[in-house]
Amino acid sequence: MSKAPALELIDIHKTFTDVEVLKGISLKAYDGDVISILGSSGSGKSTFLRCINLLENPTKGEIIFNGESLKLASSGRDLAAADMKQLTKMRQQIGFVFQSFNLWPHMTVLQNVMEGPAHVLKRPKQEVMDYAEHLLNKVGIADKKHMYPNQLSGGQQQRVAIARTLAMDPQVILFDEPTSALDPELVGEVLGVMRKLAEEGRTMLIVTHEMSFAKEVSSEVVFLHKGVVEEKGTPDKVFNSPDSERCRAFLSSTY
Amino acid sequence: MDFSVVVEYFPRLLEGAWVSVQLVALSVVLGALVALPIALARISQNWWIKGFPYAYIFFFRGTPLLVQIFLVYYGASQFDVVRESILWPILREPYWCAIIAFTLNTSAYTAEIFRGAIQAIPEGEVEACKVVGMTKAQMYRRVLLPRAFGIVLPAYGNEIILMLKGSALASTITILDLTGMARTIIARTYTPIEIFLAAGGIYLVISMVIIAIFRQVEKRQNRYLGTVSIKVPDKG
Repeated sequence: MSKAPALELIDIHKTFTDVEVLKGISLKAYDGDVISILGSSGSGKSTFLRCINLLENPTKGEIIFNGESLKLASSGRDLAAADMKQLTKMRQQIGFVFQSFNLWPHMTVLQNVMEGPAHVLKRPKQEVMDYAEHLLNKVGIADKKHMYPNQLSGGQQQRVAIARTLAMDPQVILFDEPTSALDPELVGEVLGVMRKLAEEGRTMLIVTHEMSFAKEVSSEVVFLHKGVVEEKGTPDKVFNSPDSERCRAFLSSTY
Repeated sequence: MDFSVVVEYFPRLLEGAWVSVQLVALSVVLGALVALPIALARISQNWWIKGFPYAYIFFFRGTPLLVQIFLVYYGASQFDVVRESILWPILREPYWCAIIAFTLNTSAYTAEIFRGAIQAIPEGEVEACKVVGMTKAQMYRRVLLPRAFGIVLPAYGNEIILMLKGSALASTITILDLTGMARTIIARTYTPIEIFLAAGGIYLVISMVIIAIFRQVEKRQNRYLGTVSIKVPDKG
């Protein structure tokens, strides 16, 4: 069976001033895949994730989404989008959840969730509102919909951010350490929502430090070290019998 | 000291105050309209786009307002093109010359205030716009400008008060604003202390009204900020 991957990254490189953070990373995500990306600080995992939708411009590499290669042109030392329309279109279909939530503080929770579908996708208001309320219900904050982000706890804000991402009906969702900015007692509620999404069969790429979560929900685990893929495979393989010495050391120190 | 002159001439002082308020209100509104595109151009990375606003802001912030008023009032009439243009009926009026000079001046300061506000918006909020696939225009309309509006308020209120005080310079080109009116009255009555104290008092009252208005708007606009807590997460 030869099915095209939903998202394919080929040989992604990234150099900051004179540090090569990513040294050629390739990855394929098929529909329904849940891929966890692990690694110590500075391994380049967040940078890699941010290169996928060009929040960070890669120095070299290719990004293929739904069989369509993102057009890149060199801009200084890096590659930038050659076709802004294509990039915005692609971004509309790839969700991104930030470590620091990044909700828009001047909008209520409901407005945050409605913003994308209502003003970017220009779907009818009523339909968008019903869907937004449904999503807020799903992440368990329906009762807070008229509050402003700063009135919520970190865990609640992150759940709103996830609802905001889901509202766009993305084909792939990227999570950039979604629980790293949370107090320990709030981590569970966010992971709970993400677990639900994984069970629904959503395609997700997750950069995380939550080892037991990664082991439990992932279909594939990638371990990055110093900008290269050091170990890759099923959770069982990576967690229980990794080939790489470094991966073993990392797991034994954190898990 | 004879404060009966204050009572006697108070209506005239109020007339002058009304002219001052007009000057400030008109030039602040026009200045804000000019300032917005200048601020947006100033933010650009491209030197061709940010070159002009850069020079504009540099000139109007770096030279005295009085010089700018004189340049417009005495300078413009030196050119035949100006005297023969259809704008001459406006340009020969000191009132409009003052408004033009004030507008240009305040727009330069306001543009810098706008730019500062837009650049003060946390990068994460901008990235949140990018990842939902907003275009630049959508980003400005939906998030950056509304956000900047809240950030800008305290500094902008300050600029309006500076403008009110600067508006006293209009009296140097024969305008009977509050200061001009006070000087005219003093020339007649020789009571500088009483009349200038009264004029100063009126300026204070106008300033207080501006401050009060801005405090209200700020409260409304920034209600969403609640208790602000800034978290600095580790970068992985």
